[in-house]
Amino acid sequence: MTLEQSEYQKLVERIIELFERHRGDPNAFEAILSELRTLYKKIPIYPGIITMLLPKVVQSTEMDKLKEGEEVVLVLRDGRIVSGKVAEISPSEIKLVEGKRLDVSSLDEKVPVRREDVREAKVVSRVVLEKEWPSLDFEEE
Amino acid sequence: MPELKLKRGDVVMLEGQLSLEVREGEVLISGGLRGKGSRTVIPRAKSVPLEAEGDALVAYTLGRDGKVEQLSKRTIPREWDALISEVIQQRPKKILVMGSVDVGKSFFTTYLANTMLRHGLRPGAIDSDVGQSDVGPPATMGLGIFEQPVAQLYEVPLSSAYFVGSMSPSEHMLEFVVGVKWLVEHGLKKADSVIVNTPGWIFGGPGRSLQLYTLETIDPDIVVAIQREGELEHLLSSVPRARVRRLPVSTKVRSRSSAERASLRAMMLGKCFEDAGKLVLNLWKVRLKRCYLHTGRPIDVGTLGVQAQIIHAEQMPEGMLIVTKRRMDKGAIRELEARFGHVRTIIQGSERNMMVGLTNDVNEMLGIGIIERIDYERGRMVVLTPVKNADEVAAVQFGSMRIKPDGEEIGTIRQGTF
Repeated sequence: MTLEQSEYQKLVERIIELFERHRGDPNAFEAILSELRTLYKKIPIYPGIITMLLPKVVQSTEMDKLKEGEEVVLVLRDGRIVSGKVAEISPSEIKLVEGKRLDVSSLDEKVPVRREDVREAKVVSRVVLEKEWPSLDFEEE
Repeated sequence: MPELKLKRGDVVMLEGQLSLEVREGEVLISGGLRGKGSRTVIPRAKSVPLEAEGDALVAYTLGRDGKVEQLSKRTIPREWDALISEVIQQRPKKILVMGSVDVGKSFFTTYLANTMLRHGLRPGAIDSDVGQSDVGPPATMGLGIFEQPVAQLYEVPLSSAYFVGSMSPSEHMLEFVVGVKWLVEHGLKKADSVIVNTPGWIFGGPGRSLQLYTLETIDPDIVVAIQREGELEHLLSSVPRARVRRLPVSTKVRSRSSAERASLRAMMLGKCFEDAGKLVLNLWKVRLKRCYLHTGRPIDVGTLGVQAQIIHAEQMPEGMLIVTKRRMDKGAIRELEARFGHVRTIIQGSERNMMVGLTNDVNEMLGIGIIERIDYERGRMVVLTPVKNADEVAAVQFGSMRIKPDGEEIGTIRQGTF
């Protein structure tokens, strides 16, 4: 083992950690990605500072601490995700503006999709290292 | 003008902004002997101790945030004086000063060098704290040779400098280690001993690497570890025990806020460009260093045949480098990639405000500069710099900061862009 001589390793680890923490929440992903892009554009030579700042982009909070005007993501008990800006807060509800709602739920075994409904098809390849660079695909210890 | 009557051993803390004149007797300021008539200016956000050598009278004027505080005892720990006596006796060639931020490394370096000077030695000091460089401009490491006592390290006349390229050694580790080595070798030709003041980046893999490889490359005779609670022990475990000298932090060490640091940095940078003028460099004669530009085989842009405003092109082992008037569309880039492999694109004008180092033919830094523009077609670079003679400039070292002539930092440049 030797020392890390660059802070990029930590940055990659932090990105993975954040994406795992917010798994299933595309709003959080989008905010993190957008800030990552901005930070990297502004301070590409300070990866350590980017690593330090990224977890501050999306942070869990208590409902009572929400303030009007804040951009929020609310994960509902049924799994749906609602995001937007807080417009009004009352003891029983929160009203959001510029809102979006996402329904992330597991689908049945066979999902029929009409060809004419498809705008773009993408193939997901999860073993790219093995396919593209097999000599570096070491067995995990 | 207020005056202070002092007796032998009296200690006074001087906090900038202030100016001071010795009217009678002799005093030590940062360990340097000051006689009757000598004047000292302490800038804002800096503080130094004054110790009376005998009966003395000093007069002072306070500026913004300035303060003169008479103390009941010395601020310099006894251990410091014991170590300095050892240095004066044994005259080690290379002394490395290590410590976290705000432990007083620069002050110790000044105090040690002033005391060595008082004992007839000719010390040199290297400030490798690139973000807060006291010797030489920010983003460089500087070597100063002590010819006379100074209150602050930045008063030492700059003898040689090495351009690191950024205010942070992170992502510039190679330049940092090479630069320290280069300056130590130069320093030893001019001074009896060289004291290396290192940055306060001591934790984490990159911080450890920086310190450990600096130690390996310099191979110091003495490592002075200034620490509060053993925070350097993880680094000292790699150093032969006989060479390590552990010192406590001096009392009254004042920590600086990031705003104070930024303002000091801007002040130092602004000072560099006070006397600057425009220099036009011929890029067919001057070497460009630490960049891809002008390292490949030139390509006649007329032969490329793509519908894009390419003004300069080179074939490199890694692919192709092109300079365009504006951002190229993806189709044109793909067309070039199919013929040349990877295409690195520079958009004309993106070089503006880049901080560069200008060196002579033997790699000595002549000064820093700010690129105003590059005429890629005619091979000319306009640089704002205090360097006066374009004929002296043999090479331009690219950095990764954008600054304005008043010292304001306005951005960074991704490595590999040029």
